[in-house]
Amino acid sequence: MQIFIQTLMAGVLLGGVYALVSVGLNLIFGVVRIINFAHGELVMVAMYMTFWMWQLWGFDPYVSFFIVAPVMFLVGLALQRFIIQPIQGSSSAMKIFVTIGVSIVLQNLALYLWGGQYRSVTTSYTTSVLTVGGVNISVPRLIAFAGGLLLVGLLFFFMQRTLTGKVLRSIAEDRDTARLLGIPVSRFYMFATGLSAVLAGVAGVLLTPFSSAFPLYGAQITLIAFIVVVIGGMGNMVGALVGGILLGAIQTLTGTYIAPGLQQVVLFALFIVVVLVRPQGLFGAGVGTEEVGLK
Amino acid sequence: MTLLNVESVSKRFGGVQAVREVSLHVDEGEILGIIGPNGAGKTSLFNLITGTIKTESGRITLDGVDLTHRGPVDRCRLGIGRTFQVVRPFTGMTAAENVMVPVLVHTKRVGAAKAKAVALLEELNISFLAERDISSLTLAQRKRVEVARALATEPRLLLLDEVLAGLNSREIVDVLPFVHEVRRRGVSILMIEHLVAALTSVSDRLVVLDRGALIAEGTSDVVLKDPAVVTAYLGEEKHDAAS
Amino acid sequence: MKRYQIVIAAAVVVVLALLPIVVTDQYLLNNAILVVMFIGLTVAWNIAAFGGALSLGHAAFFGLGSYTSALLLLRFDINPWIGMIGGVFVAGLGGLLLCIPLLRLRGPFFTLASLAFVEVLRLLSIYARGLTGGSEGLTVPSRPGWLWMSFLGREPYYYIVLVMSVVTVAISAAIYYSWIGYQLRASGSDDEAVNALGVRSSRLKVFSLVVSAAMTGAFGAFAAQYYFIIDPDTNFSYVLYALQPALNGIVGGMGTVLGPIIGAVLMTPLGEYLRDAFTAEQGLSYIIYGVVLIVVVMVMPGGLMSAIRTGTDRLGRGGRRRAAAAVSKELEPTREEVKP
Repeated sequence: MQIFIQTLMAGVLLGGVYALVSVGLNLIFGVVRIINFAHGELVMVAMYMTFWMWQLWGFDPYVSFFIVAPVMFLVGLALQRFIIQPIQGSSSAMKIFVTIGVSIVLQNLALYLWGGQYRSVTTSYTTSVLTVGGVNISVPRLIAFAGGLLLVGLLFFFMQRTLTGKVLRSIAEDRDTARLLGIPVSRFYMFATGLSAVLAGVAGVLLTPFSSAFPLYGAQITLIAFIVVVIGGMGNMVGALVGGILLGAIQTLTGTYIAPGLQQVVLFALFIVVVLVRPQGLFGAGVGTEEVGLK
Repeated sequence: MTLLNVESVSKRFGGVQAVREVSLHVDEGEILGIIGPNGAGKTSLFNLITGTIKTESGRITLDGVDLTHRGPVDRCRLGIGRTFQVVRPFTGMTAAENVMVPVLVHTKRVGAAKAKAVALLEELNISFLAERDISSLTLAQRKRVEVARALATEPRLLLLDEVLAGLNSREIVDVLPFVHEVRRRGVSILMIEHLVAALTSVSDRLVVLDRGALIAEGTSDVVLKDPAVVTAYLGEEKHDAAS
Repeated sequence: MKRYQIVIAAAVVVVLALLPIVVTDQYLLNNAILVVMFIGLTVAWNIAAFGGALSLGHAAFFGLGSYTSALLLLRFDINPWIGMIGGVFVAGLGGLLLCIPLLRLRGPFFTLASLAFVEVLRLLSIYARGLTGGSEGLTVPSRPGWLWMSFLGREPYYYIVLVMSVVTVAISAAIYYSWIGYQLRASGSDDEAVNALGVRSSRLKVFSLVVSAAMTGAFGAFAAQYYFIIDPDTNFSYVLYALQPALNGIVGGMGTVLGPIIGAVLMTPLGEYLRDAFTAEQGLSYIIYGVVLIVVVMVMPGGLMSAIRTGTDRLGRGGRRRAAAAVSKELEPTREEVKP
């Protein structure tokens, strides 16, 4: 029983990471309608930034957020303006390939600049563990989990209550009408991509205390982030959160009770099953699913 | 003799009732025009007839055959051809190749299919464009390719969705006699048009849709005078002029 | 296909067939084998792309072919030629399996599903140690001779893969120029419209994906013999056998027969060159790869083939104008003739 709870807890925390990474993806997908294959690389870039600021200037990871966030915003802006916008009219496949190109460039740039070794940050709280009722909870992971929850909550509030958020939602629902109403859609797209990059950046910052940065981190996490987004329901922020946690739990439970080697297989298999049986995700889709993919 | 019978079909999209229990029929050899203000559900009705979207209720039969549960491929093979309001040519292919695609359903040999395709383009007076990439054609030319493509399916009923839209008056004058010609060859026609005058000159009967419902039906002189139709197009007459 | 195209193709094949006589350096021969193999892989991938299916999971079929052939040899002593047929068959079955997402999902989501598909197979083959040897993989025994497809020199391998690629290109051309090809391309352009015209596109798409998968599997079986060693990370490698053919196809121009060939011929040696030139600087070669992909998608989404076509189109139209002008000059009456 103890093992079960421990495993479940680890799974929930892992799921929090998944949800954290996928929140940004959900946003860019819902609004700009693009499947950004380079999203994981944005997380990776943020992780490296956080690492280097710690390594060179002794910044605590959570503090570097204040620098990482605006930098990532600019990165996202540039990505949208110079790479995605020019091909906004092409087929979704072409947009995927261009973001794949970006992800290849970023991965290998990291490899070229900083080598392939794992870069870890060690702080006073890196190995801190909270013990509750016999269950060990890693503190940095807990903070990341809490951060993920907070992020989803803030984003939800932002999208529902602020004017910018409402405009973004209206663009997500009907881009052409929004344009006709005089809304400068491309500027909002830039904002959305910028925001999505910030979210990726926050994920990177929160992950650094317990996860090492290395060039291929993004590649590993991107596919899982997509699975979370699809299973949770595209464009559905809360669904992605719940979906992420669910996936994390399923992964760790599979690892403990079925076989460690099958942990990720189960996730992919689940993805394929969900996409075929309930394409709108477990919690129903947000807007825009028809246009980009699911019949 | 009734060819197409649409009985009480409906379709809802989210919060909008796009088509509301519409019933109509097209007789063999008839040209039936559909008019109505924007958003009246005309194209949705077409989509229901071709099977691109499924009806929630009602029945659709073609020459007695129940189509209601058949998909678009079957309905086309049974005799319903269509053009699209916004032309949908196959990019990366020439005009002839575009028309060959439906021809190849029944004529598998590429050489023979190409000959048939070019012949169809010839009937629309654009065979000189056969080898040109479709993206280099003007809108009027692309519309003709679209019509040729629909005719290539050897339909018994041809659905034309605003085939005159975007054409200038000279281009329209060229197209209208062709519609008669198609009918003369035994193809019944169901036409959506915004240009009411052009439509009345070709069609035998008119049907008017407004906000998803059928509000009038009959010959053009009767329908166009129908107060419900006038209201639908022009809005309610204001009675109080007091300010 | 026009006659001159067939003649040129035959000539190219003859030149390629004579290559080993001129080139005896084993290292260069290895490169030639790689280029030819990737021509085959890219052309095979592109067959699915005709119908609009952009798979990033073709490494799944490659790996299925490799493992089927190797296992048949190791467990049942079946020679690799029959093993290749087995590989083709199993890879084809894999393709059939992927057809389920193909028919239910639109473009990008099918691509995602294909990615998940290859990852599942890769992870499963690491997990099933008893069957597949786990992450160490399998070693194919070397029994020299044609029966066992194992040779000391590279020349025989070259001929085998050349024949395979020629067959692949021939199949691709046969499909492209047939009724299937036309309807597939239309379906890739606008599936809904093609259905409204009476074309049952789903059957065609299944056909093209299964053929594409099967042929990829054949090359996987070849690789098992050529490299002697197969393992999950290599034979189910996303980068090598899923992304690379797609990249080649995009650069060369998807949706044609020649495009993927051009793409493979350009990108394979480029990749090798970059890897060699920049062995010291890790990652630099792939940065260039990524940039090439971005540039091609942004500037020439139709690949090099579309750029070539626009170029010849312009030349052609200019030529026609000149010809028309010349003809009208011919028809102008001369001054002497007009005089009464």
